[in-house]
Amino acid sequence: MKSAEALEETAGRRRARIIEVVAKNWASFFLLILLVVFSFTGRGFFSLGNLQTIVHLSTVLLLLAAAETFVIISGGIDLSVGMVMGFTAIISAKIMQILYRAELPQGTCILIGVLAGLAVCTLPGLISGILVARYRVPPFIATLGMWGVTLGVQLKVCGGYTIPFLPPKLVDIGNGYLIYVLPGRAVSLFSPPPGVAQTQIRELIRIAPNSFIFLLVVLGVMWHLLRNTKFGQHTYAIGGSMDAAVRAGIDVPRHLLKIYVLSTFLAGLAGIFNVFQAGLGNFTRFNAMYELFAIAGVIIGGASLMGGKGRIIGSIIGVLIIGVLETGLLISGVEPFYRFIAVGVILIVAVVIDHLFPDLF
Amino acid sequence: MAVGTDRINTRRQKLYALFGTYWAYLFLVLEIIFFALTARGFFSLRVLQNILFFGTPIFLLGTAETFVIITGGIDLSVGFVMGFAAVLGAKLVAGFTALGMGPAASIVLGLGITLIVGLIPGFINGTLVARLDVPPFIATFAMFGISHGVSELLLGGVWAKNLPHLANAIGNGFFLYIVPGKAASLFQRPVVQRGVRVLEIVPNVVVITFVVILIVAFILKRTKFGQHTYAIGGNIDAATKAGINVKKHLVRIYMLSSFLATLAGTIYVLKYVTGKGDAGAPFLLDSIVAVVIGGASLYGGKGTVGRTVLGCFILATLETGLRVLGVSTFDKYIAVGIILIIAVLIDQFSPELVHKED
Repeated sequence: MKSAEALEETAGRRRARIIEVVAKNWASFFLLILLVVFSFTGRGFFSLGNLQTIVHLSTVLLLLAAAETFVIISGGIDLSVGMVMGFTAIISAKIMQILYRAELPQGTCILIGVLAGLAVCTLPGLISGILVARYRVPPFIATLGMWGVTLGVQLKVCGGYTIPFLPPKLVDIGNGYLIYVLPGRAVSLFSPPPGVAQTQIRELIRIAPNSFIFLLVVLGVMWHLLRNTKFGQHTYAIGGSMDAAVRAGIDVPRHLLKIYVLSTFLAGLAGIFNVFQAGLGNFTRFNAMYELFAIAGVIIGGASLMGGKGRIIGSIIGVLIIGVLETGLLISGVEPFYRFIAVGVILIVAVVIDHLFPDLF
Repeated sequence: MAVGTDRINTRRQKLYALFGTYWAYLFLVLEIIFFALTARGFFSLRVLQNILFFGTPIFLLGTAETFVIITGGIDLSVGFVMGFAAVLGAKLVAGFTALGMGPAASIVLGLGITLIVGLIPGFINGTLVARLDVPPFIATFAMFGISHGVSELLLGGVWAKNLPHLANAIGNGFFLYIVPGKAASLFQRPVVQRGVRVLEIVPNVVVITFVVILIVAFILKRTKFGQHTYAIGGNIDAATKAGINVKKHLVRIYMLSSFLATLAGTIYVLKYVTGKGDAGAPFLLDSIVAVVIGGASLYGGKGTVGRTVLGCFILATLETGLRVLGVSTFDKYIAVGIILIIAVLIDQFSPELVHKED
């Protein structure tokens, strides 16, 4: 009798353990399920090309989500990232355009444009950081203010049009691949093997877009920064309890300032990547709502808007769920509007699961 | 000496307090003077009425946001709930007309049904926030996505057509027409010879908007419902202990918010005689900014409809003024961003002085 009870108990415990594991990693499981489902419903969904495209197209959102992860862990929110992205893209593209028109070599134009973009993109973060850290303006408001200012400035610079006539090398870099394989004949790095005829272009296998390497480096550094360094520890400490962080001797205003600058810096990187990808300076449309999708990715990835919780890996999975969902629905022939509904529903599910299992992460 | 400096200090403090309380009025007056001096034709009956006419969505969404923000929440879905209502309303009215119903009946029935359906997003928002403890930011953002998707699905790529002319007559008509020195009439445009000037006073939609805003302002200021709203925003635990049914009240607040957004959507149908999914998208930011300019705190417990309306005036005047000035609307975004930050900074620097007033 007793052994049967004990058996039942261990079985019950095991079941509880399984539920816990599933709940803890529900986002990863969900991503897997999505991949499997779409592989059946969408023709050509499960192919090297398509999966690479999904990540390639998610690059911008991944960077914005990484930015948002730091801010949200510290208990704040940054609504300006999407606009800072466009702002950086426009300024950097404008400079490249002017230099290229002055017939400077392409490499120089691109380099100066990128550096200038990276320099200006920290400005909005500096301002919102000072407002939040020194003047105790709520993050929602400070960054909403910068949202408006950066939107206005980028539209003034570009006049409401995308910026064309940039160095053509941009697109080669932004949309290039690390490895090209022409099956059975040639392999080359960074550019298609020389002498490939137009007829063979379809056979060419492209592996690892350049954006992969870029993403790996940036997200790797951010992952390390958040997980293994004092900077990351302090971020969690501030988000967990501001008072405790102050008492522990952390210079909270200074740290918050750094976080907001880091956030817009990553948004600026996204903007510069966008220039490379499109070969144009794209401004952010006022209803693009990048920041909201980035925040959705972070929350689906297990962060809490109350602060103190969140991981870079989680945010990456959250963004990939959104990316897979969009592409998968498109390939499966579902009307594109459903993706808004789907993202909304998943977001609610994420928060409710977080609420039901509060101590998991 | 000491007494003297004290007096000066208190006087200065009083000045700060006055400024902290009334800076928005001052700003509005300066804004109007600025545009009156720089923009030709700004200071005319027509343009001043246009500020109100094109501002109706800002006023309604701002009022909706006021209630939610006082409870310490935020409603990001108002813009797309307005779009959803515009699409649904236009489709229903067009459908009823196609079924052979009279113009008045199809408008009343179509928009009436829309107003009732418009309570649903608010009910879902409220349930998520109050009963499932989903943060308002997330719950209403999810609803933002859902109502966007649903309105595009309803639209199906085809704008509603063939709405009755009556809709246009209501939406773009005026409350009072005066032929100077001869006649005056309500609602109906008098028939006059060509060349005779007819004064048109107060667009119908503005009348509807402000009647509703007055009612809601009264509810917030004078009723138990309003008291409870402030109580919940001030301290949710104390409100629970005081016996307020917080959950039920929060659901009602979010329903009221999406009702006002839906009303803005139906007014859109009357004004433009069709419905668009993103009809309200540009006004989300404006509505939140207006509430903050009006001195409400995002932490809850503070804010009034009257001051939100003042904030809406500032934004609507800015928009129309820049348009009359012929400046690109790009500047509007910069201006709104800066005004928002100034508003919060003023609020931060004179906290105890401004707060005392409520």
